[in-house]
Amino acid sequence: MLQKLTLPQKLIFYTLLVLLAIVILFPIYYMISISLKLPKDIYRTPSLLPRNATLQNYVDLFGKMHFLINIRNSIIVAGSATIISVFISCMAAYSLVRLKYRFRDWIGRLILFTYLTPGALLFISLAVIINRLNLGNTLQGLIFVYLTFSAPLSTWLLMGYFRSIPADLEEQAMVDGATRWQALFRIVLPLATPGLIAVSVFTFTGAWNELLLALIFITSPDKQTVPVAVSYLITGDVFRWGLIMAGSVAAAIPVIVLYYLGQRFVVQGLAAGAVKG
Amino acid sequence: MGEDLSPNPSPRPLHCGEGIRGNVLFYSSTPPLDLFMANQAATQLPAAQQREQPRMTMSQRASIMGYLMVAPVVISLLILVIYPFFFAIWISFTDRMVGSQGNFVGLANYRYLINWIDFRATVRNTIVLVVSVQSLKLVLGMGIALLLNQQIRGRQLWRSLILIPWAMPAFVAFITWKLLYAPQGGAFNYILLNLGLVDTHVDFLSTKTWAMPSVIVASFWRGFPFWVISFLAALQNVPQELYEAAAIDGASAWQRFRHVTMPSIRHVVLVVLLLSTIWTTNSFEAIWLLTQGGPSSATMTFPVLAYFGLQNLRIGEAASVSVSMLPVFAMLAFIVAKLLQEE
Repeated sequence: MLQKLTLPQKLIFYTLLVLLAIVILFPIYYMISISLKLPKDIYRTPSLLPRNATLQNYVDLFGKMHFLINIRNSIIVAGSATIISVFISCMAAYSLVRLKYRFRDWIGRLILFTYLTPGALLFISLAVIINRLNLGNTLQGLIFVYLTFSAPLSTWLLMGYFRSIPADLEEQAMVDGATRWQALFRIVLPLATPGLIAVSVFTFTGAWNELLLALIFITSPDKQTVPVAVSYLITGDVFRWGLIMAGSVAAAIPVIVLYYLGQRFVVQGLAAGAVKG
Repeated sequence: MGEDLSPNPSPRPLHCGEGIRGNVLFYSSTPPLDLFMANQAATQLPAAQQREQPRMTMSQRASIMGYLMVAPVVISLLILVIYPFFFAIWISFTDRMVGSQGNFVGLANYRYLINWIDFRATVRNTIVLVVSVQSLKLVLGMGIALLLNQQIRGRQLWRSLILIPWAMPAFVAFITWKLLYAPQGGAFNYILLNLGLVDTHVDFLSTKTWAMPSVIVASFWRGFPFWVISFLAALQNVPQELYEAAAIDGASAWQRFRHVTMPSIRHVVLVVLLLSTIWTTNSFEAIWLLTQGGPSSATMTFPVLAYFGLQNLRIGEAASVSVSMLPVFAMLAFIVAKLLQEE
């Protein structure tokens, strides 16, 4: 299919691509442009252009809205979830790929099925369980609950990466006297860096973006994560679109930056069916 | 541990020596989760090195180590997925409320659901939503992937562009679409009014006719990059020689697509379709942020209805709403798992 294109083909293709670009970029452009407008400019003199652009919404967001606390909570939750989940998933994936024991296949299947099990099926009983564990309305509870999606995904992806690293290398090191741990940390993990990056990006952004569980488990405003705080802004009676869009832009920037920094690895993981879409 | 003590040093010790119970299990079945197109992801290793390595004999130490290392994940998943899974099924057979354990009521919740107008709407809406969004993603996603697979300038740039809707948080995407649809301050109304296509504001998300199509379009926008990127990756693995051979034989573009492209990427298409169907069916953000299921349940879906049940503290009923989609989910998950374990 990679033949040279004829001129009419080129015309059609580039027209379609430009249309595609507009479809993708217009909502983003509009989000940013509204975030730079005051209510009177949004309602009284609507326009697609950012007339009278101002950063007032961002000033309000960070100054009056506890948004910094929401960001802090999100960083704590997503950061801890990432560290814990990636660490235990590395061990599990290594164990499932390299070590042999009974039930190994069953555990592998368990991980696949837990990965496929949607949160929507679990959140009601999870709410009961988390309250019983006295983890309701705590950031720790949220970090723990986020293992439901991050641990199976990370383990599963890492298994693919570990499997492609030849076992010879570790066996050689262990013949030379290294322990399993040393083999894992000094040989396997450095070679699996692309996998570790992909898995960390998925876990961090997954936790950063998660709405449903955070909505259920967090009840006090000072513990709300960014998605919860922003989503409460639109369930009120009056929509302050400028402020809401400023919050959305602020919430999206770290995630988009992370994706594009790790794009190469992320796309490989995505192609392996990693992220919900 | 150390040297290979097995009496049979062949690389596939199918029936060798000790630890038989385990060994037969390991070698007779395909390794699980092998899907991983990630084989491609990982490295530049020559194929020879990737084939099964002669293993050390299974020593007890290694197996204890194995259990210890896998334990944190397994225990977490038992508490967070397996137990809640069965617990949800149990709760759905009780009249549990917040603050009361409730009693076993058999199928009472389900009997209630069948006659509940909102639940019927939920089933209908979910089918309409999922079928429409997935068809759009399949057809347009494939079209865009084929387009980006051509000799066009700046391919890398276009691919990065495609990623944006998917790279941004789902809640941000759907809040932005809520703004686009807004009667006051929304872009679509502004454009329609200025072009003279409508006389008054259209309240896309609050009218029965428009709510569902609006949700479908927004969900499509958010979800299609996953399909395009997956399809593109698969398209790049189709051997060029096949196209050349087909071209020499005088196959038309459609015939090449039908007889060369499709068979080569069928597996990926199927996996993406099923995975995405599971996620789309269970997506909470789209509906919650755009319409909260309204107007009058015109866009109500399972997760949102269950969430309302939880908010109303009627836990048993809410659980039965989630659990009622279990058969469909189980079927999809079973097929995906099979597909993922192939290859």
